[in-house]
Amino acid sequence: MGKAEEALSVCLNAKDQLYTNDSVLIDDLTLSTLQIVFQRLDHLDMATSCYEYACGKFPNSLELMMGLFNCYVREYSFVKQQQIAIKMYKVVGEERFLLWAVCSIQLQVFCGNGGEKLLLLAEGLLKKHIASHSLHEPEALSVYISLLERQSKFGDALEILAGKLGSLIMIEVDRLRLQGRLLARAGDYSAAADILQKVLELCPDDWEYFLHYLGCLLDDGSSFFLGNGGNSIYPPKHVGCKNLDLPDEVFDTRISRASVFVEKLMAECDNASIRSPHLANLEIQKRKLIYGKGDPGKLVEELMQYFSRFGHLACFTSDVEAFLLFLDDPNKSEVLEKLKGCELTSSSQTKALGQAITIFKVENLIGNMFSLPVCELEGLAVRMADMYCKNLPVSKDLDLQENMHGEELLSMACNVLVQLFWRTRNVGYLLESIMILEFGLTIRRYTWQYKILLLHLYSYWNCLPVAYDWYKSLDVKNILLETVSHHILPQMLASPLWSDLNDLLRDYLKFMDDHFRESADLTFLAYRHRNYSKVIEFVQFKERLQRSSQYLVAKIEAPILQLKQNANSIQEEECILESLKNGNHFVELSNEIGNKLLTFNEDLQLRPWWTPTFDKNYLLGPFEGVSYYPRENLIKQTEENVLKNIEKRSLLPRMIYLSIHCASSSLKEHTEANGSAFDPKLSLELKVLLERYARILGFPFQDAIELVLGVSSGQKPSEALSSDLIGWINFVVFLNAWNLNSREIGFSNNDKPRPSTWHLVNSLLKKYIIEKMRSTGPLLSSPGGDLPMLVQLVTEPLSWHSLIIQSSVRSSLPSGKKKKKGGVTEQANSHHSHEIQDSIQSLCDAIKEVTEWLSAQINKLDDVKFETIFSLLQVNGEGQGPGRILHMFENLISSVDNTALGDRISQALQSWDAVEVARKVGAGQSSVLSQFLRICESKIKSLQALRTHL
Amino acid sequence: MTTIRRFCCNDLLRFASVNLDHLTETFNMSFYMTYLARWPDYFHVAEAPGNRIMGYIMGKVEGQGESWHGHVTAVTVSPEYRRQQLAKKLMNLLEDISDKIDKAYFVDLFVRASNTPAIKMYEKLGYVIYRRVLRYYSGEEDGLDMRKALSRDVEKKSIIPLKRPVTPDELEYD
Repeated sequence: MGKAEEALSVCLNAKDQLYTNDSVLIDDLTLSTLQIVFQRLDHLDMATSCYEYACGKFPNSLELMMGLFNCYVREYSFVKQQQIAIKMYKVVGEERFLLWAVCSIQLQVFCGNGGEKLLLLAEGLLKKHIASHSLHEPEALSVYISLLERQSKFGDALEILAGKLGSLIMIEVDRLRLQGRLLARAGDYSAAADILQKVLELCPDDWEYFLHYLGCLLDDGSSFFLGNGGNSIYPPKHVGCKNLDLPDEVFDTRISRASVFVEKLMAECDNASIRSPHLANLEIQKRKLIYGKGDPGKLVEELMQYFSRFGHLACFTSDVEAFLLFLDDPNKSEVLEKLKGCELTSSSQTKALGQAITIFKVENLIGNMFSLPVCELEGLAVRMADMYCKNLPVSKDLDLQENMHGEELLSMACNVLVQLFWRTRNVGYLLESIMILEFGLTIRRYTWQYKILLLHLYSYWNCLPVAYDWYKSLDVKNILLETVSHHILPQMLASPLWSDLNDLLRDYLKFMDDHFRESADLTFLAYRHRNYSKVIEFVQFKERLQRSSQYLVAKIEAPILQLKQNANSIQEEECILESLKNGNHFVELSNEIGNKLLTFNEDLQLRPWWTPTFDKNYLLGPFEGVSYYPRENLIKQTEENVLKNIEKRSLLPRMIYLSIHCASSSLKEHTEANGSAFDPKLSLELKVLLERYARILGFPFQDAIELVLGVSSGQKPSEALSSDLIGWINFVVFLNAWNLNSREIGFSNNDKPRPSTWHLVNSLLKKYIIEKMRSTGPLLSSPGGDLPMLVQLVTEPLSWHSLIIQSSVRSSLPSGKKKKKGGVTEQANSHHSHEIQDSIQSLCDAIKEVTEWLSAQINKLDDVKFETIFSLLQVNGEGQGPGRILHMFENLISSVDNTALGDRISQALQSWDAVEVARKVGAGQSSVLSQFLRICESKIKSLQALRTHL
Repeated sequence: MTTIRRFCCNDLLRFASVNLDHLTETFNMSFYMTYLARWPDYFHVAEAPGNRIMGYIMGKVEGQGESWHGHVTAVTVSPEYRRQQLAKKLMNLLEDISDKIDKAYFVDLFVRASNTPAIKMYEKLGYVIYRRVLRYYSGEEDGLDMRKALSRDVEKKSIIPLKRPVTPDELEYD
């Protein structure tokens, strides 16, 4: 007996004793011990029933009732929580239990299916309690006010805040913020503005509240209604201009009031780090423009003022981003010209450096770099790197732990080089962009911004093992797994690095599942410590993570990976499918996906510009010359794609299962390999899933069949399937399996003979495998490329098809019990046998070509001399081309001045080894190919073994 | 341009640019949530325009008698927002809450003995090295226990440095 079973048995025994033996002592310690064990054994219900029984026996025991409440918290049974909390409140009359009940009611409304009317009940309970006992906890007051706010009873809330209870909020500015918000939401903008002005007097740097203040001055309280961003982690962007029809004189008076107030704030703030009042002037100019009363020149002027004060700060560009992008193109150019014309006469070198970096950033932000000629762009990258080198001495005395001055210059130079590569397709620029980041990391190994850029560049260049090493060095763990994994996970899913992918998926799923398990205990902790607002927050947060799209992707991709890894053995595959309940659970997931409001918690802001979302990489396409890419549209498209993908991929395990069964019954008239009768429902079910799968691919079933037949026969171009090649070939594979049993797709169509579906699979698999292999090209000179697609073709549709073959072969093997059949059946079986042999041959031929190609590629990479890689960096006769920055680094190293740079930087420079980086590129690519080669070889071996059985 | 407000769970999804820093530990969920559930007033986040997270502070209040004190568990600022005295603002906020709301005697924190830049910063903020804790960090590196007295500790007794280092098991609170 395993320990878990033993523990369960002991607990069940104790539970029986509890129910049957009156002399058994029932105390909270015993019950909570039982509860802990039951919880660990995933039997929360048993713990609950123990407590329910005990509470029935000792109806007024507060300790037991609290234990029972805790059980309901763990089960997310909000109604029961409410009932037991009320009971506790009645027994002891304590405020906290009433608040427990109120929270439970709120949870029914926010997270359950309770109607808003329930809030009235909660409000009534609180009112009654306040009348007799008042309130004593600040959190209780904030729950009460949030209840009223939710019901739009702003006046009532304000009255309470103004009364005696208001003093529970001990920090004045917090009380004012709340008051301002309630007034604004009640539509009393004038009073709200007065209060918000007081908030700003106390906290002059509070930008969010300045925006609220300005909004209220202009009779617009919409900034208070923004919510928290719905399914994305980013709050929605506030446009903040609803009342555009304010009379002119009213607008003028109000906006001047804002200006005067901002002037006053600036005069009173002697703290040089307070930026908000200065930025407020830009916002005021922007509002004037929106209301048709402004002058863009003034906004430009304010921008320049802001630059002269804060231009050296790393956050300058993100501070003014919204204003810069608001200007039209000529004004944007004017800003840039003016910035470039500024004399950077800052007293300190670091400030001057900061300002110079800001100018580069502004140039990038307004899209100017995309319109520069190649030679100028190259010059820009060189200038950035040169500035980095020249300013190294400024960081001489910094600790290794501290960020160096000018670190951003290398990221920016890298971004420019990537653009140069995109434009010219000169791989040298790509190599140089990698080199400069590696150089930066040699000097200071902690710069995570370089690591993120690098991992994307290495991924793009098919050096996934190196990319993964850099990813690991970011030490992504715990909640970062949810927000940062997107940098590597999508590439890994399409790679042959199965073991690493397995680690990634396992760690991520473990983190999420652990959180779901422990979250309720933390919610109870919030109850106990009377932080009621956190109760609601915790439950909502857990739900948010449960609805995470990435979590669902990982949940489905983890078993698909297992299926891929074991596809050479049908027996092992069947065990896996059995553990997955034959894929049924995932079909349910697919059914539900349309009704689920999924969340997208990936932090996409840290992604490089050339791959703003995980399904978009500009470098894979031609240079489009566009200067600005609005992320929002892309994100929406990505989210739709993710949903569709989850819906489609969730069908795979079940389709594999059904295909194996259909194939196994194809040879012997509805008898399966184990001799049992084939259930025709399975074939029908596969058809239903195929129809659905086709719909997800965007076609009605019949049209989808016509399309694949058309492509196979050459009547339709091969690009017809390129929108989702893997999806389509999977469809063809499962279609064949279904047809083996159903035989609905005829072999002839009037007088034109139609190929069999076996042939369809063979031809399409071979066609695309060869096509993708050829288009992949030599990895070193062809970054991007189709290698991931080729890997997926072999490890998914080809593997699923090999399972169908294995199933067919297995069912054709003579078994003692079965009688030999003759006549028509035998003929049909013999025909099938040929089809299977042909298919095996076809697959073997295709994979053999791939293995030969892979071996040749690996040999080539092994033979590559570093000079070959370095030859990519060739500066032409006019002194242009990739390699100039690297050359600059070499000069720097050859003339290292220890006194100027300090020991640490000097030593780091001496350790720089460009050859090592070049070697890493070659070795990384070789490693991916070798792992893929191993997979291919094992497939050939398994297919050849099958042939011997026929 | 610093909107400082209470930290909430959704901020955990947006703090990657702060936490990718190698000196900023990303704790497990129960650690953050325990702080949120028990000491929400000691967990604050600073936001910049566009709701970008600039940095955050997490801490707690604990102890008995004259050891009742605020504790800074973590304070961190994103590279983009460094050198703007944000850490100071966040520290002042926590000190204020410890002092005025919870009437604590002092605020303390632990720092790696090798983290010179941080030690210098805390000294500038009025913290003194109260004692050395031997092998406090993963049994390897020593930690420094730094303290700042609050108004309730009129005689500044809480910050008189200890003469000898202590071991982690001698700590009253960790």
